[in-house]
Amino acid sequence: MTPNAASAAPAPSRRSFLASSAVAAAAVAGGMPLLTACGGSDGGSREGTTAGKEAEKLLPAYVAGTVVTPDIPAKNGSAVGFTRKLDLAGLKTSVPEKLGKGGRVTIMSPFWGSPPKSDNAYYRAMNDLIGVDITWQNQDGNTYEQKLGAVLASSDVPDVVVVPSWNLNGRIPSAIISKFADLGPYLSGDAVKEYPNLAAVPTDAWQRSIFGGKLRGLPQPQPYVTGIVPLYRQDIFEKEGYEVPTSCDEFLALAKEATNAKAKRWACLDMKWTAFQAFGVMSGNEKPLGWTMVDGKMINRVETDEYLEALEWTRKLFAAGVVHPDAELGKSQATDAGPKFAKGEFLIYAQNISQWWSRTAEQATQNPEFKVWGMDVFGHDGGDPVLWAEQPAGIWAFVNKKASEAVIRDVLAAANVTAAPYGTKEYMMTNYGVEGTHYTVKDGVPTKTDQGNIDVMNAYVMLASPAATIAHPDFPEVAKGQVEWQQRMGAFTRKSSFHGMQITEPSRYANLSSDFEQMEDDFVRGRKKMGEVQQAISEWRSKGGDKLRDWYKKLLDENGSAAN
Amino acid sequence: MSHSTVPRSRAEAETTEKPPAPPGKPGRPRARKPSLRLRWRRDRVLLLMTLPAVALLLLFNYLPILGNVVAFQDYDPYISDNGIVSILHSPWVGVENFERIFADSAFWNAVRNTLVLFFLQLLLFFPIPVLLALLINSVVRPRVRAVSQAILYLPHFFSWVLVIAVFQQLFGGAGILSQLLREHGYDGLDIMTDPSSFAFLITAQSVWKDAGWGIIVFLAALASVPPDLYEAAAMDGAGRWRRMWHVTLPALRPVIALLLVLRVGDALTVGFEQILLQRDAVGPGAAEVLDTFVWWNGVRNQDFGYAAAAGLVKGVVSIGLVLAANKVAHLMGEQGVYKK
Repeated sequence: MTPNAASAAPAPSRRSFLASSAVAAAAVAGGMPLLTACGGSDGGSREGTTAGKEAEKLLPAYVAGTVVTPDIPAKNGSAVGFTRKLDLAGLKTSVPEKLGKGGRVTIMSPFWGSPPKSDNAYYRAMNDLIGVDITWQNQDGNTYEQKLGAVLASSDVPDVVVVPSWNLNGRIPSAIISKFADLGPYLSGDAVKEYPNLAAVPTDAWQRSIFGGKLRGLPQPQPYVTGIVPLYRQDIFEKEGYEVPTSCDEFLALAKEATNAKAKRWACLDMKWTAFQAFGVMSGNEKPLGWTMVDGKMINRVETDEYLEALEWTRKLFAAGVVHPDAELGKSQATDAGPKFAKGEFLIYAQNISQWWSRTAEQATQNPEFKVWGMDVFGHDGGDPVLWAEQPAGIWAFVNKKASEAVIRDVLAAANVTAAPYGTKEYMMTNYGVEGTHYTVKDGVPTKTDQGNIDVMNAYVMLASPAATIAHPDFPEVAKGQVEWQQRMGAFTRKSSFHGMQITEPSRYANLSSDFEQMEDDFVRGRKKMGEVQQAISEWRSKGGDKLRDWYKKLLDENGSAAN
Repeated sequence: MSHSTVPRSRAEAETTEKPPAPPGKPGRPRARKPSLRLRWRRDRVLLLMTLPAVALLLLFNYLPILGNVVAFQDYDPYISDNGIVSILHSPWVGVENFERIFADSAFWNAVRNTLVLFFLQLLLFFPIPVLLALLINSVVRPRVRAVSQAILYLPHFFSWVLVIAVFQQLFGGAGILSQLLREHGYDGLDIMTDPSSFAFLITAQSVWKDAGWGIIVFLAALASVPPDLYEAAAMDGAGRWRRMWHVTLPALRPVIALLLVLRVGDALTVGFEQILLQRDAVGPGAAEVLDTFVWWNGVRNQDFGYAAAAGLVKGVVSIGLVLAANKVAHLMGEQGVYKK
């Protein structure tokens, strides 16, 4: 559901509509302290979880590697923030010698936006820095799930495949286990020290990368605070004298006031994700996050009253006509919301926190009055919200099982560069490209050029990234706003029973809830009745939901809970 | 304009006098069927020449049919790197997938939507190319005719993504028309996202895109009508409408029958890409058809066995429909698609 958020990575900003109510994969019990004994995991097992000592054996050693001390340390599950001016002349080198051996590697990855030419200055510079000839197969991120299943079923799987957690539908988890290499021999324990930047990747992110009892993924760490922010046009709010709403009723009232369809202005887009947050509905981002123990009973998000109330309220917004007509189209409206937001056709939309910065950067030169800001999530009744923690890693790069050791080493060399922390030359190159070509420096502030905005998008940041970092040397006030938002929201964030674990459900239930997201979208747009939703929920129970409940209960008995 | 339909109308003229000629040998009169050996000796060169085409047909059309066995499996393509090995190792589940399909309300919903769309398109789409062809055929000036033909053909070459984007810009909730209405105090339109009128929307899009292309076949048939028939009719005092009724339409009849049979065989294929692109705009309740159902379950959910079973059901029903439609065509005295 919620596109989950690696707040730091500026790249995957439009993953939104991908969403997926679904998912789950082979499991590592994360949650600290490490959990004892493991259920149903005998190394290569396809369902269940890997935890405790067995997981410990697989995890890479952690060697902190911060080059620059963050101005805002992580708190409440936030990213670390950098708001000081970046000393571009004094950037550190974290990869003193090229680890790449000059091999050729193909990588398939989701891409949000229009991909650059395959042979561009940014890719060349990165490949040169890494010492590996990487070829990118960029696929549309919004429809990635449709490609992934077919590519993995073929005999021609690229050397590296990037997979976001919300694409782990159906049988993809089992495909990951059977098609991708065990990186344990290269990374477990002290082995990782050969790649210092990977050794600095937080352990909970690695725990989430154990699929089928083996360390298979190179993770993209992310804050566990929700990544979905209700973004709004602060400039227009100020001009019109609108107050930021603090309850669902206030939101609706404001939305009615702000909407003037005749003048081509609506209050918002589909606010379903915000509604789930306001009503305290458990995360729909991964199937295991949708389950938790409440008063000794294992319940799923769809069984809660809050779930139905959140949908009801979203439906009210649509019925009141305050939602931009484009949002009626649902997922089929895959075009960029940015231009219409900039034009003021709608004032509020819920999206990945990374858009807070990217919208700002996009409009900075041509639209100086434009100001986007993140709204605090409100409790539906005006009280404090209850937010549910997301996973500490939500996107992985996997290496093809058939890859030779040389290829695996080259991939790790590349990941070691892309995982370089803020303040290093490697971070600057990965996130900003080449000075003069992709960004220019004025008064010590790097600003992306047009070519930079085309070339330096997605790609390398998808490979592996440093501990969740928010740093925008060009807009430090946005970085501050983002981290502070995360910390305020982090204070309301709770972990559910299976937080941090990587769990593979039995494959016969793989598609049990695949239709829920579509049903939600139908309901809030007035195309389905509440009775139909309730019927779907009771069908879900009888078709396997209740069995799955027992399965999760057993898993919890064996592994302990991560809830707080 | 030489086209497959031209020889067909000639063939029809022959059949009225002679027994049907074997396929591939039109116009060769024979009293009775020669023996197999004789035919082999006579036709072997021709048969040899068809070999490459037959080989391709076998390789790309018939061989993949074997893959349908996964409909009887809980097929998991990911257990090996080779599709055939995966088939060998996937567990057999008998007819379980078919039982699930027949008990699945989503499947029956897809069947219903497919049939509704088929009949609607048959009713509203099919006659339009015929009418357009008659219209174009009546244009005398070659230049006007060429230009209007080009304009009519053009949308066929647009991709569905483009066509839908154009419709969206024009008729969408935030489109030009809606905004114009709002500016004048009316409500905006809900055409693109209204499930109740979705079938009409789909049909309208198809007509706009492909009706022009559909006239080619009919124009070819019209061109093959001997002008002396018109002259003779005119001599007998037939007016314009009478000539159309008694000369033009009978000339078109075999083509219309043929295309109808083909269309019926395709009945369960009502436009995959076009509908998939708009599925989320109205929800699967109105937009799920058999093809998108197969796609959703197979490609999106990787439930390949289930999707293959649904595809197989569709295939079997389609064959039945073709046979039935062909029979009807024969009863009407037309050639249909084939004849024994």
